[in-house]
Amino acid sequence: MRVPLSWLREYVDVDLSPEALADRLTLLGMEVRGIERIGADWSRVVVGELLTVDRHPNSARLSLTTVRVGDGEPTLSIVCGATNIAPGQRIPVALPGSVLPGDRRIEIAKLAGVESQGMLCSGDELGLSSDADGILILPADTPIGLPMEDLVGDVVLDVDVKPNRGDALSILGLAREVSAATGAPVRWPGIVVTESGDATADHVRVDVLDTERCPRFVARYLDGVSVGPSPFAVQQRLTAAGMRPISNIVDASNYVMLELGKPIHTFDADGVPNGHIIVRGAEPGERLTTLDHVERVLDPEVLLIAGDDGPLGLAGVMGGLDSEVSDTTSRVIVESALFDPVSIRRTAFRFALRSEASLRFEKGQEHRLARIGADRAAQLILAWGGGRAATEVVDTDPVELPRARVAFRPARVARLLGVDLPSTEQAALLARVEVTTEPADPTDLVPIAAAGPTGAAQQVPAAEGALVAVIPGHRRDLVIEADIAEEVARVRGYETLPGTLPTSAMPAIRPDPRRLVDHLRGWLSGQGLLEVVTHGLIGPEDHARLGLAADDPATIRALNPVTADHSELRRSLLPGLLTVLADAERQRRPDVAVFEVGPIHARVDGQPTETPMVGVLLAGSARPATWAATPRAWDLADGKGLVEALVARIADASVDWRATTPHAGVEHPGRTAEGVVTLPDGRAVVLGRVTEVHPALLAAMDIRAPHVISVGLEIGAIAAIEPGRVQAGRVDGPPPVERDLAVVVDATRGAGDVAAIIRDAAGPSLVGLGLFDRYQGAQLGADQVSLAWRLRLDPDPSAPETATDDLMDHIATVLSERIGARRRA
Amino acid sequence: MDIGSFQGRLEALRVGAISDIGAAADLDALADVETRILGRKGELKSVMGGIGALPAEDRPKVGALANPVREAIESAIETRREVLGTAALEMRLLAEREDVTLPGRSLWRGGLHPIRETEREIARIFGQFGFVVVESPEVETDALNFEALNIPADHPARDLWDTIYVQPPTGTPEAPPDEEPRWLLRTHTSPGQIRAMRATEPPIRILTPGRCYRYEAVDASHGFEFFQVEGLMVDEDTSMGTLRGLLDAFAHAMFGAGRPTRFRPGYYPFTEPSVAFDIQCVVCDGSGCPACGRSGWMTILGAGMVHPVVLRNGGIDPERYQGFAFGMGTDRITMLRYAIRDIRAFLANDLRFLEGFPA
Repeated sequence: MRVPLSWLREYVDVDLSPEALADRLTLLGMEVRGIERIGADWSRVVVGELLTVDRHPNSARLSLTTVRVGDGEPTLSIVCGATNIAPGQRIPVALPGSVLPGDRRIEIAKLAGVESQGMLCSGDELGLSSDADGILILPADTPIGLPMEDLVGDVVLDVDVKPNRGDALSILGLAREVSAATGAPVRWPGIVVTESGDATADHVRVDVLDTERCPRFVARYLDGVSVGPSPFAVQQRLTAAGMRPISNIVDASNYVMLELGKPIHTFDADGVPNGHIIVRGAEPGERLTTLDHVERVLDPEVLLIAGDDGPLGLAGVMGGLDSEVSDTTSRVIVESALFDPVSIRRTAFRFALRSEASLRFEKGQEHRLARIGADRAAQLILAWGGGRAATEVVDTDPVELPRARVAFRPARVARLLGVDLPSTEQAALLARVEVTTEPADPTDLVPIAAAGPTGAAQQVPAAEGALVAVIPGHRRDLVIEADIAEEVARVRGYETLPGTLPTSAMPAIRPDPRRLVDHLRGWLSGQGLLEVVTHGLIGPEDHARLGLAADDPATIRALNPVTADHSELRRSLLPGLLTVLADAERQRRPDVAVFEVGPIHARVDGQPTETPMVGVLLAGSARPATWAATPRAWDLADGKGLVEALVARIADASVDWRATTPHAGVEHPGRTAEGVVTLPDGRAVVLGRVTEVHPALLAAMDIRAPHVISVGLEIGAIAAIEPGRVQAGRVDGPPPVERDLAVVVDATRGAGDVAAIIRDAAGPSLVGLGLFDRYQGAQLGADQVSLAWRLRLDPDPSAPETATDDLMDHIATVLSERIGARRRA
Repeated sequence: MDIGSFQGRLEALRVGAISDIGAAADLDALADVETRILGRKGELKSVMGGIGALPAEDRPKVGALANPVREAIESAIETRREVLGTAALEMRLLAEREDVTLPGRSLWRGGLHPIRETEREIARIFGQFGFVVVESPEVETDALNFEALNIPADHPARDLWDTIYVQPPTGTPEAPPDEEPRWLLRTHTSPGQIRAMRATEPPIRILTPGRCYRYEAVDASHGFEFFQVEGLMVDEDTSMGTLRGLLDAFAHAMFGAGRPTRFRPGYYPFTEPSVAFDIQCVVCDGSGCPACGRSGWMTILGAGMVHPVVLRNGGIDPERYQGFAFGMGTDRITMLRYAIRDIRAFLANDLRFLEGFPA
């Protein structure tokens, strides 16, 4: 809400600087987000009078003017491009040496060969309005030579009014807040309508058929009105407050809306057949062309202001074109009504017509404002457009409501605020916002929670010492005891509440769900990997590249995505990680070793599920290139080694790698492995996959790296291999015995198979197994491979010395029997 | 041969050996000399082989003659070996000298993302006051993201959260066409409050950090994905004073012990009273600059006393219990902490940016 201080001061005295006032309002909950000074960014702009306007000798588009800027000042000769000027007009003149907004300096200059001693200004050039076409024409009685900042200079506060304080969406409402802050009294405008002639009811009949959605409708009638521009000062005031001046009638309704917070609608009475207004839900398929020249198709959800011949306007949202006030209007009907906030909000959203008026309606309106607003609008129309106001009003609910009563316990308020605050002080604070207090009756109920969609009202009987707050009509937000507590704290100042540290009982110790994840993050970064955080929402194209169909039922899609590129919750971390790589390559950073920890999303059995994952992407060199090391590209074994070391850090377990079906077009068909950890109880836990990314996928993302390794592990699987209880290992026995065993097997035979057979044959005395050499070549058949294993065996002290040799022979025999492996010497 | 000439041969051997030992240029040469003289087929052995030619009465004297010779040779070898060993070591060390100003064999530095580390730092600070993280899902229902938080459908406060909706789970009814859909991406971490309250009994002290989504245009201070940390504390006497005390402790831990803070009214449907919490601008230290809109203050979080309706929706009696909740933008805290100007940096993952954070 833009608040020109000159306007605010009409209703309350302000003895503070704009900055100090902004501070006070902010601390009161009316946050001032900006202070704008109209006129602060100009200098040497004065009011002048046009003496002559002639054709420019060298240009058809320019005029040559002479301007008087004050007694004793020389007459200026100024070239001007506007067409709305005529001798005798008063206009803003930027004198030579003046400065305009945007640090624009005006000096004597030649325009099309003729010297111009300054510039005539448009409203746009002064930042006063958006009108850039014509020169700003000032009232004829404006003193010549007056500095323009003295005429229209102002300070405008931009106040962020919260959604619960619709009452403060007005200059008067903010004057009340200033009053609460400073104690200066609020001055209401004197609202008096000079009525004459016949009665409003002789010209206007109002039938509200839906009193739920329109609890009150007040109408006034004026005739003999002349439509024209409103007074200059009014136009400036509206402009400063952010509204475009239109005509005296429309400006009057906007003025009332800004001044009092009451939206007003005006009809050309000639557009309202028989002066009959009906407030009703629209018929299905009924049509209305609104003020913005758009035809709207309506249904019963939409509340209408209708006439005998059909719709006249969308109630509270926008008027109809046919009954719009125009230059020829002379008979005016003023509508000042109350509407159901939800209905207004829905209609405004539905037609994308949220306006200053609908914004105020949807926050709820004070009941009495319907009458006050109608009167104020009629008063201003008479003042600015002349004519006659018919006597009395048409009012569908003239009985004003009693003030609401909210019982509260000062002791409970003090407990909530954490400050010892006697009830007398609380009452005094509330009085500053027009909330009076009286002792509660034992029958009064203290509202703890109001009734709502999630539950019934909760109330407790008023205790000893309870008070009743009597709420002014505009404060519809004060409903429960906690609301009163906030009001007390707000007026006293939140800054006065002392800070304390908790003294109450601590909750029981609970496990930290992030412990393992943070351990993984620290470990991975210690391995030289950089943590990234990529988008949770990715595009259909990303998923298509993973081979997921556009209509895959497991993909969770946004119904209203901000952009198609981010419209689906990621099913995998890979697209995000590959994007990091592609971006890095574009910056000539081909060496990328990154990881991300985060959830992937899918529908499982229809339900949204989140699976926390850790993803690793390795591309480029495995080590930085230096004088001391030749760079080597990351390969599949690096990815596996990372997983093996990670598992070894977490559990006394090793990883078995097994072939798995690669995802077509995503994973290299010959370089994709699944890592499995077998727990002591025999359970096999699949940790995830290590793969080389398919070259086709890399090409699709314009990635140049020839080989990119990807690791994807489920955090839940890693958690599953964590031992519940760790027991220290035995280190006091004899050291393990190391024996090597080289076997020749079919080249198609997986090393993992061989390892499994060795483990099986060796039994529990095998405490370590490593593959230290792998050979294919001339000494072997073309389809053969030699695998050299190093076994670490825990010797049994009671066994004979030959036991180890016997075991090695046994293992070799088993390998030979099961897979035809030949032992190499 | 008599004993005299035998003694002469021994003496010649000794003299020759001492000379050869002294002449040995390195340890290998010395070892050769040692073998040649003292070895199994060495010269000493050979001289001693002449013992058979001596008269029988002289043979017992041989030991007394030969032993000092052997000892003298052995001692000379040992002495020479020590000298040569020392020289060899010195040679080796000399040969192994390198340019100690050479750079090392590099490793990739690795690093942690500033958003995640700030999240952890926030949890660490509040952890000292007994707050523990609980996780909460990103795909939420309207019921938990809005309704239970006292934001009914068609409430003007809904304007504060522009929402991205998703299809409901299979089998649940879709919202009627004129209503907002019922499943969404959480617009804040606040639904975690309801989940936590329903899962436990007071006293409650929890944090729910995580990713949130809003239907919002992207600019230097907004994104449609961002991060929040929600805090909730509920028991019988937790007051606005406790909230102020804890937020001050947090702000001082995160932004420096001397940094002034400010407590002022805010508005959230799920708190009453509601609070906006400011710190003195970290850019200008309060003198006013573009970063703080010339006010000298920066809002770092919203908070308030949990609304009675919200407590009740969490299964907690608002007459007996009270408490506070706060929610802060992890992005914003991180930006202030590291003087980051553009929120888009967090999800852009420029490696140069990410490598700029010590961790």
